[in-house]
Amino acid sequence: MDGDPAEMNMPQSLASIEVKDDMDTRSESENQPEGDALVDISFCGSTPLLWKVSDMRRCRSVGVSGALVGALARQPRQNVRLGRPLELLQEEALLLEETSTGVASQHTQDCGDEEMHSAAVRQYEASLESSYKEQCALALQDKKTVLKKIINEKENVTDDSGNAIRDRLNALDQAFRFPWPAMAVQLCTARAGFSHCPEERSFLSTDWPVPRDERLNTRFCVYRDLRNKGFYLTSAGKFGGDFLVYPGDPLRFHAHFIALCLSMDEELPLSDILAIARLGSNVKKTVLLCSPQSRSETGKDESVEGDVVYSSLQWSSMV
Amino acid sequence: MADRDTSTTDAHTLNVYQELLSPSELFEARSRSHKIPLKGQKDFLPDGSEKQTARLQQRLDEHWTLLAEERVERLGNLVKAVWTPEERLVELQSPAGKFWQTMGFSERGKQYLRPEEALYLMECGNVQVFYRDLPLSIQEGYERFLSSETVTLHQYQVFGHLKRLGYVVNRFDPSLVPSTYERQLNLPASSRDKQRKQLKRKRSQSPVSRDKQNTSPVEKTTAEDQSDELVKSSESPLESADASDRTWWMERDVQSPPPQVQSTAPRWDFSSISFPDLGSRRSRSVCLASPDRSLLPGALEVGDCDVAPWLSRLNMKQEKLSRRDRERQRERDRYRRDVNSDREVRRCRNWAEYFQLLEDRRRRGQRDRPAHLWEREVTPLTQPGQCASHRELLDQINIVKPSSWSEGVSRLSPSDQWKISFDVYQPDTVAEFKKSHPGKPYSRMCVCRFDGPVPDLHAMKQLSFQSGDVPVTFAVVDHGDISFYCFKDFKLPTDVY
Repeated sequence: MDGDPAEMNMPQSLASIEVKDDMDTRSESENQPEGDALVDISFCGSTPLLWKVSDMRRCRSVGVSGALVGALARQPRQNVRLGRPLELLQEEALLLEETSTGVASQHTQDCGDEEMHSAAVRQYEASLESSYKEQCALALQDKKTVLKKIINEKENVTDDSGNAIRDRLNALDQAFRFPWPAMAVQLCTARAGFSHCPEERSFLSTDWPVPRDERLNTRFCVYRDLRNKGFYLTSAGKFGGDFLVYPGDPLRFHAHFIALCLSMDEELPLSDILAIARLGSNVKKTVLLCSPQSRSETGKDESVEGDVVYSSLQWSSMV
Repeated sequence: MADRDTSTTDAHTLNVYQELLSPSELFEARSRSHKIPLKGQKDFLPDGSEKQTARLQQRLDEHWTLLAEERVERLGNLVKAVWTPEERLVELQSPAGKFWQTMGFSERGKQYLRPEEALYLMECGNVQVFYRDLPLSIQEGYERFLSSETVTLHQYQVFGHLKRLGYVVNRFDPSLVPSTYERQLNLPASSRDKQRKQLKRKRSQSPVSRDKQNTSPVEKTTAEDQSDELVKSSESPLESADASDRTWWMERDVQSPPPQVQSTAPRWDFSSISFPDLGSRRSRSVCLASPDRSLLPGALEVGDCDVAPWLSRLNMKQEKLSRRDRERQRERDRYRRDVNSDREVRRCRNWAEYFQLLEDRRRRGQRDRPAHLWEREVTPLTQPGQCASHRELLDQINIVKPSSWSEGVSRLSPSDQWKISFDVYQPDTVAEFKKSHPGKPYSRMCVCRFDGPVPDLHAMKQLSFQSGDVPVTFAVVDHGDISFYCFKDFKLPTDVY
């Protein structure tokens, strides 16, 4: 997996300076052997989710940031920092699928094989047992080191209390009890090793769980084009647009544009454009009207994807 | 492609074990930090400087450390539970924790959590849920618990968001909201709660067909409560809304009789019938003359009537009023003149004369009005000298009355698209929450999306009517980002006095 995070950040810092550079590094990273591990996109209803940190790292390395929606393991009862799972936009999931970075993984509800299941249960119980033993030993070790440390500190003070502690230390091997409830267990976030069933992955694009309609196609064209130009995108629902467009990783940079996706022949009342343009200037962002050009219009070959036309509204004064 | 398949499945099986912690890692996790690193100020543009790259790197490192952290809990601190997919519930196997104050319910001696509650508690590291003897991961919890039959992912995101903020969140149950009829009767809230409690008790005894069984005892209690709670209810904020409902009842009472009167009226000429006055102290006649034969049905014969025994049964004593009563009566009389104290009215011997008198008086009052305005079909909305202020005048000539949300909702058909999902109660710190007696919610939640429509007036009326006097808030879920909005009834300010 992405062992060296510095490497995957390179494209990000270059992105806004030279778009072409970014494209090159991106294709390079795709050729790296580690890129071969496919990202598991699990669907909850129609929402694409990522569960494994390795998958999330891989996605971020190709500029797909997503949004965290779960409770953070470290402090679950707050909303400032959230944790896994990572929710993807439909467009992000489609991009992963199209670039063969990710694949939709379907979970089967129950697998009927009783034998396999009871083997898994046995494996789980055995792992608990061995974990208990190991933690028992670790706890004993821990206690001993604490006592030894106290002895070392107290050596030059009084002999009596030092002796008492030394006695306790000697008796520890017999007297030490590590109760079963004190054992630490892991509450797995992603599906764990002794999972009920292996996931099924669908490699066929026809198996994609979300139907692609006109609107999704328009949005996806715009998303892919802006991403290929090196921008980072997140959802812009609260700004009344389709995407927020960032010049670098959204962790560190402010968004510059609000992208509004419209098909070429779509009519929009001027009042709507004015409303969103006003809102955009209030939050110091430029509103982009983005319309994918159909292939026939661009006059390019069928295999080449159409371009996207970007326009923004500017007030002009006539004197 | 075939090549690639084999290599990925290998990597995949490795992946499955990748996030499992070893016993020593588990043991060390007891003493790990619970601090969350702060988010710093963002930059405007990437400038390619080393400083910026380093800062981004630091943020990313923090990010991945935080995300990679797995939940580790002492076994003793975990409540064990089992997922039963048939019932779509999670049954507790060991004693519940503090969360039981605000979540879960008991039925047939067992303790259950709803799927969204169980999932939230799994995420908080309080509950470990098993299915077929194996613990469920959070991922499996999402996949198994969330569906359109229980709660959807979007609804769960709102649920989790509010729970993390400390709110008490319950699923909205339309059957617990008072019906239109109950609201028209202005039932006080406390009797409704009693009803709710009773529902609960019944439920645990016999879960089948509880709704039918309950109707009769519930009605009894509410009827009893109504009498002794009426005084209190008049102070409740519900009153203004319900008062208008009551006038509707009155109107109907008044409106319906006339057709009956008209059908029987032609038989008698009331103008020629005089009525005996037995109660009057002035006319102490002991005997009533026999009534006109024509007024009596068929062969009935009525002779002179000796009213003395009747009179002796009447309480003819002068009414003695306390000083306060007298004062009150005087106060009342000042504004409302008794018809009987009017000399001209007393002079009337029958209804016809009385109506004639009223008509004469009306004429007298309108003598100075121009006939072309007042004697035709269309008359002015207001009368001269009737209004003391501009506002009163404007009120009188106001034809289209302003309407509030609560008006005329009962006629609307319920919409399928808009449903209330959750009852939300304020955090425990603000008001102590009791599951057995939850009281009035702080707000009700309706979950929707930015790419969906805004509720139309029909939906708004429907939802606010269904919610009663509890405000309805809309929670908009946009890829993990949750915003709330609500609509408020707005009264335009008037500046004319």
